[in-house]
Amino acid sequence: MRRRTFFSWGTAGLVALGSAVSLSLGAVVRFLTPSVFYEPPQSFKIGNPADFSFGPPTFLAEEKIFVFRDREKGFAVANAVCTHLGCTVGYFQSDERFHCPCHGSVFAADGTVLHGPAPRPLEWFEVTLARDGRLRVDKDHVVPASYRLMVS
Amino acid sequence: MMNPLRDAWQSIVRRDPLSTDKGKSEFVFLNVWLHIHPAKVKKENLKVKHTFYLGFITFFLFLILVTTGVALMFYYRPHPPQAYQDMKDLQFVVYLGSFLRNMHRWSAHGMVICVFLHMCRVFYTGSYKRPRQFNWVIGVVLFLLTLGLSFTGYLLPWDQLAFWAITVGTNIGSYAPLVGSQIRELLLGGHTVGEAALLRFYVLHVAVLPAAMTLLTMVHFWRVRKVGGLSRPVWKLRAEKSAELVTIGAPDTPAPLAVAIASQDKTYGLMEVVTGKPIFETVSMEEEEDTVFSYPYAFFREGVALLATVAAVMAVSIVWQAPLEELANPAKTPNPAKAPWYFLGLQELVSHSALIGGVIVPGLAVLALLAIPYIDMNPSRRMADRKWAIRAFTLFVVVNVVLIIVGTLFRGPGWALVPPWVHVVGAE
Amino acid sequence: MERRLPQFFFVLSLIVLALMLAAVWQAGTPAWKTYQAEFHRLEAVGEPNAAAKSDVLNAGVVIKQELLPGLQRVDRCGTCHLGVEDPTMKNAPQPFTFHANLAPHIAARFGCTVCHGGQGLATDKQNAHGNVPFWQEPLLPKDYIRASCGRCHKEGEVPGVPELAEGRRLFETQGCRGCHKLNGVGGTVGPDLTEEGAVRRFPGWLERHFLDPNAVSRNSPMPNFHFTKEQARALTFYMLSLTSEQMGTYYSSVRLIPSAGYGRQLFVEKNCIACHNLGGVGAKSGPDLVGVTKNHSAGWLDEQLVNPELVYPGSIMPAYDLETNARKAIIAFMATATAEDAQSILARRAKPLTAQDAAIEAGKQSFARFGCVGCHGLQLQGGVPNPNSQGGEVPSLLHASDDYTKEEVIKIIRNGKAPPVDNSAKPAPPLYMPSWKGVLAEEDINRIADYLWSLQKKKEGW
Repeated sequence: MRRRTFFSWGTAGLVALGSAVSLSLGAVVRFLTPSVFYEPPQSFKIGNPADFSFGPPTFLAEEKIFVFRDREKGFAVANAVCTHLGCTVGYFQSDERFHCPCHGSVFAADGTVLHGPAPRPLEWFEVTLARDGRLRVDKDHVVPASYRLMVS
Repeated sequence: MMNPLRDAWQSIVRRDPLSTDKGKSEFVFLNVWLHIHPAKVKKENLKVKHTFYLGFITFFLFLILVTTGVALMFYYRPHPPQAYQDMKDLQFVVYLGSFLRNMHRWSAHGMVICVFLHMCRVFYTGSYKRPRQFNWVIGVVLFLLTLGLSFTGYLLPWDQLAFWAITVGTNIGSYAPLVGSQIRELLLGGHTVGEAALLRFYVLHVAVLPAAMTLLTMVHFWRVRKVGGLSRPVWKLRAEKSAELVTIGAPDTPAPLAVAIASQDKTYGLMEVVTGKPIFETVSMEEEEDTVFSYPYAFFREGVALLATVAAVMAVSIVWQAPLEELANPAKTPNPAKAPWYFLGLQELVSHSALIGGVIVPGLAVLALLAIPYIDMNPSRRMADRKWAIRAFTLFVVVNVVLIIVGTLFRGPGWALVPPWVHVVGAE
Repeated sequence: MERRLPQFFFVLSLIVLALMLAAVWQAGTPAWKTYQAEFHRLEAVGEPNAAAKSDVLNAGVVIKQELLPGLQRVDRCGTCHLGVEDPTMKNAPQPFTFHANLAPHIAARFGCTVCHGGQGLATDKQNAHGNVPFWQEPLLPKDYIRASCGRCHKEGEVPGVPELAEGRRLFETQGCRGCHKLNGVGGTVGPDLTEEGAVRRFPGWLERHFLDPNAVSRNSPMPNFHFTKEQARALTFYMLSLTSEQMGTYYSSVRLIPSAGYGRQLFVEKNCIACHNLGGVGAKSGPDLVGVTKNHSAGWLDEQLVNPELVYPGSIMPAYDLETNARKAIIAFMATATAEDAQSILARRAKPLTAQDAAIEAGKQSFARFGCVGCHGLQLQGGVPNPNSQGGEVPSLLHASDDYTKEEVIKIIRNGKAPPVDNSAKPAPPLYMPSWKGVLAEEDINRIADYLWSLQKKKEGW
């Protein structure tokens, strides 16, 4: 066996194999990345604007969000999950604040932490108007507390 | 040399460069994955027509099955009816899901075929004879484990094909005398194929049987190595009227350490530390010249065999989809209900007689297979000297193949004999 | 081999690399990605400015699914059918077309396959539409989609789908139960139909079967009922609705749609006109019900129907055992009822029956309901072929009194009877009189016998 031919063919073969192996590693990672989630979707429709009242927010238990509707400024959607350890906060009309029952965190109406162990303010989610006229909330898009959706 | 890169590399490989003989030997000798190989192998053993690399191909198929199997485990739940939904998800939603599932199924069928062909090759070359008898027995057990793995895996998709094949298969097993119904109950974890059966088959398929297979494979390879490597190719066997005895032992000890029948195979001596004089290897000069280093000769040939196997399985998996019928329905029996193809010969026998066909004949066949090395007193491995053994085994192979063909192609609804070219109008 | 081994190695490595690339390409280019990209282009056209357009065009392509645990389904149709809830896609080509009149059956709650059929788990067109082997629920043809309403709305009326109620009515009156079991009651000559909609979801086959059973099911003992095309279609709708599926409470709570039409039916069934009047037409014991929904809240009216004594102590109105939606239906009817309704109800009312006539009427209804008419005929004329029985057909019952006493007939109904065989060498006749002991109460059996004897008497008059 002549060394020189072996060296070039063999090495070329190993290079091809090496690429195949690297490609397969990438494919394995992609394989393990889920394409669908057996969970409630992050983006969902909550109903028509007319379904929501002004004043105190509407609490949607399944989706764990508060839907605010302001006459001048429009819609805003807050996450009802406390930023401390994940309990569901409640909104109290008496003091217009969110209270968490687990460790006593208190949030202002715009989500800022007033006191308690919560490290961050409550998140606000993007709410848009879908083309069929219903409101769509997207939990994958966090927006500033000042975000509003104006609906005519 | 104070070259840090070279030192780092040496700390990993610990061997001399591959350009040296020492380096080539150390490549296999010092490597935990490869050191089952001898440093040198006989050139004649590397020829494709010697073994067709069937043992290696079977082993490579097993490796493909383990890797694709573990991948599939990330998406499969062994609980009806989610199991079926997960099969659909693998087909429609998981990236490369159907490709991996196909690879798994086609390798499984391939492994059953190759392990059988390997067994035939070992028989036809008489490589089960002294001193390899017990390795043949281990091989037969590995063959049965292969069938067991294929059978337990067959149920997992939980479709009509799976459900009824396993119903038929476990019912065949229940015909075994005394323990038949108990075996069936143990396998199914109940009286019918249901949740418990699926879970048990799953555990057998992913844990118990692969572990047994791995352990026995290790022993199987080890024994091949310890007996001196692959058997001598049949075309190199010289005609011998009587067996030749050789002694193995130190030249000036009063009694020889061992007396062996020379079967023209190479025998290695043991490397042992003993006090006194060294033990000589009984290796003739002529044989010495025909050996080559395992690295690169054996290594790259095995590599080619591995690549060819992988390429073949991948090609088949891209083109042909593994079947998935409708969700398992215990209330609706397909007509005919057929066992997996490798058990169809058995089902054909059972259709004639449950006890004789299903238990006695297959039981005797397995016992006979296991006993072959101990029944066969003929010391010669030459085909010319073993005509009757070869005829008997060929008959066994042909009968098996014919039974399977009949069961697959010639049996229609109600197990009636229908030629495959007649289109049977299926029951609605 | 030795000399060429390195080349072999190289070629094989290339082949393995090529095959891997092929597999990756196959996995990475499903058709749905193309559809989604196309939809984004369509959407971008409708966007007002360049920034919005590029947002839409660069949106990721991803499998969209609706998880429907209450229906035990996962529907991925929305991966390609992206315009279903987008009114601007009214004129878009399929698969992007807007689905009009979807509410209240929004995709998030209902998915698609429960109405349309198909294989929700699939993500390519052919498999998703279900016209593949081993999938029992293919896409329903357009004309039959409304039959799926009956999968949830199992009782009463379904607005817009009169075929379901008609199919149900035909089933009960044409004697199908005589041969077919439904929900545990019926004969065993033909297959159990409780899950017919699940196992045989092929409207073409079903309709042809109703028009001529023997054309699709050779040697079927089912007689040809000579149904009209409309009747066959109604029965097909009804069959398609018999799916017996497990549903979450959200879905099973609307078994009955509280429609005014059904409310009218219940009004007649419960004979409310016996005490009440509508706009003065009817009885005067109870109040006039016209306008009652304007004067009272729905809750008050509902309570009235549940427990009248509680609302008006001393009331002689009985407490009817009606489910929630049935009560809602009656209230819905009362919101629109007029004196004309009362007049038509009164006109169609049957005159009161004597006890004996009532027993005969009950027997007649049982005779129809339990399927006796299926073999013995609507006019008791028999004539259904029963090969290899003496006489070759199911006997007429009009002259039963000539051969049997009434007690003997009652015994036959109770215990069943195999027909006398003509030729013992040939296979046994497929039809037989089943035993009704345990299915029919003794009282019902007696009433059927009364009904049969009432017809015998008429014949004697000749």
